[in-house]
Amino acid sequence: MFRLKRLRGLDTNLTILFIILVLVVLVLTAFLPGKFLTGRNLKSMAFQFPEFGLLALAMTLAMITGGIDLSVIATANLTGILSALIMTHYITPDVSGSFSALIIVIAIFIALLSAVVCGLVNGFLISFVGVPAILATLGTMIFYSGIGMAITKGIGVVGFPDSYLAIGSGTALGLPIPLIIFIVVTAVVALILRKSSFGMNMYFVGANPIAALFSGININFTILKTYMTTGLLAGLSSVVMISRFNSAKVGYGDTYLLQAIVVAVLGGIDPYGGYGRVIGVVMGIFILQALQNAFTLFGFTPYAKGLIWGLVLIMVMIINFITARYQERARISRMLEDRRFNNGVGNDADAVAP
Amino acid sequence: MFERLFRKHETYLLIIIIVYSIVVTSVNKSFMSFENLFDIIRGSAGMGILAMGVLVALLSGGIDVSFTAVAISGGYISVRLIMATGWSNLFMAFLISCVVGIAFGTINGLIISYFKLPTLITTLGTLNAFHGILTTFVGTESVNAREMPECFVRFGSAKIIKLANDQGGTYGLSVFLIPLIAVIILTWFILRFTMLGRGIFAIGSNRESAVRAGFNIKAIQMFIYAYIGFLAGVMGVVAVSEVRWVNPVYLVGTELTVIAAVVIGGTKLTGGSGTILGTILGVGIVRILYNTLVLLGLSAAWNNFFVGIIIIASVAITSYRNKLKAYRSLTFRV
Repeated sequence: MFRLKRLRGLDTNLTILFIILVLVVLVLTAFLPGKFLTGRNLKSMAFQFPEFGLLALAMTLAMITGGIDLSVIATANLTGILSALIMTHYITPDVSGSFSALIIVIAIFIALLSAVVCGLVNGFLISFVGVPAILATLGTMIFYSGIGMAITKGIGVVGFPDSYLAIGSGTALGLPIPLIIFIVVTAVVALILRKSSFGMNMYFVGANPIAALFSGININFTILKTYMTTGLLAGLSSVVMISRFNSAKVGYGDTYLLQAIVVAVLGGIDPYGGYGRVIGVVMGIFILQALQNAFTLFGFTPYAKGLIWGLVLIMVMIINFITARYQERARISRMLEDRRFNNGVGNDADAVAP
Repeated sequence: MFERLFRKHETYLLIIIIVYSIVVTSVNKSFMSFENLFDIIRGSAGMGILAMGVLVALLSGGIDVSFTAVAISGGYISVRLIMATGWSNLFMAFLISCVVGIAFGTINGLIISYFKLPTLITTLGTLNAFHGILTTFVGTESVNAREMPECFVRFGSAKIIKLANDQGGTYGLSVFLIPLIAVIILTWFILRFTMLGRGIFAIGSNRESAVRAGFNIKAIQMFIYAYIGFLAGVMGVVAVSEVRWVNPVYLVGTELTVIAAVVIGGTKLTGGSGTILGTILGVGIVRILYNTLVLLGLSAAWNNFFVGIIIIASVAITSYRNKLKAYRSLTFRV
């Protein structure tokens, strides 16, 4: 009983998130009977959210270190275009199955490698050169999408082999493959953050970079590795994304940028860095996907969705601000009470001593 | 004297513009003509007006990305209202657009100053919210050139100076230069000669010291974001008159280019440092680049590639210099 209370005390944020998630599901089920909570709809959602969830995780990592990565979508699009070009160029109808399988593996490898390189450039600019994260990733966002644009001239790269399309639309063990990728990646990211020294360092750097520096943490390498991981997640997202769309093009998934930030903030990640957990972000992703799905069922325009996401983002931040201030006040008054008590003891001791 | 000149970021920007112009002219003679120069000025007016607002936001240590949505809301609502009422009056157009702009800007200011939220994320939210309000509640129909109220069309084609070209036609310096210069002078005056301007620099340099010095942070932040909204309102009318049609999805998506131009101009994102001249030159570089890639034989698809390189190079150089300076003076700003 005591442990349960302590757990709840530790994670007010997570409890609130869980209640919101349950409420959202209940309300949507009531308003969309026979449409929302059906096997078919759940399955289609399981195919839809992983590509976006991976981007949200990438954003989460950058925000934990006190930065932000505006270039995740540009990175995903650029790497998608590169791997799409490899596949469409080398795989023709007359090549053998094993050769095309090899090309697919190479294409995925190139996608992930180039994504890590994109992240490396971001990390290098932010850590070793000292550019603020917003600016560095703003510049690289324009630059990466500029490369993609210069290569493709804005035209989509289409026509992938069927075996590649299975990544975005196939199932294994009864589960959609994108969902499996998402679960594995989320578990790995959560493990890194909770159990590895790299993860701990990320929190330290985000909470107070100067304190981290003087504690002997190599903050430059920590930031570099963070943005490489961010890039890798964007690359994984692009592998799923282009497979689901069966094409790669500059400008796909532009709306994901706002949504990734909404989810990270909703999931309890502090935009100033140093705080937040993966489980919160995962719940945030579920809430967002449920609402997104409902908006589509209601037939909202993309602009109306943007309006709602914008309002949700601001409301969540305002609520977080108010609860933080409330908790801070409670903490201070508790502290003052403790001190009064301790001071009382101290004075007595002083009185005895002489 | 030269030493002092070469310590300034603006000198380098000017050198880049001159060298680049010489290179472009040697490839394609048509770049160095009054006609092309006037064209660049006409095209830069809107971006220049917005850039002044972004400069003020960055000086205060904040950022605003919602101004494109504000600008198009102002422009679109003003066109729609004038079409509905039939008063084709340029003064009304600016009035309506600026009122809309100031209203949206004040909303930004209220949220940012009262809840102390991160400005980038907040304005990213309001960018989508404002655009959503416009497209959901006002409308999504575009207004084409034939339906455009006459005052916008006249404003768009009015010239300050008219010259004749070789083919017998005329070209001239667009009247857009007037609002641009007015906005530049207004911003310069506020930053240079008012207590408000001192306050903007003070918040950006060190928020805590500004509080201790007695600046009313909330009021100053309210002013900053309302002022950006006002400038966006002015720009909305200019942008709509420039293209002579209006579509509610126009402009939105270009906000990062404007911020990039201001940053290229040497304004620090961490606040407290930046100049109006640098901002004008930054806008100049971005516009010249957009204008000349075609003259150099590259398609417009290369625009972002080069703009990206320039932003990265420019911020990398200034940030690295600051970092070295910080290490030398042992103020580990990480």
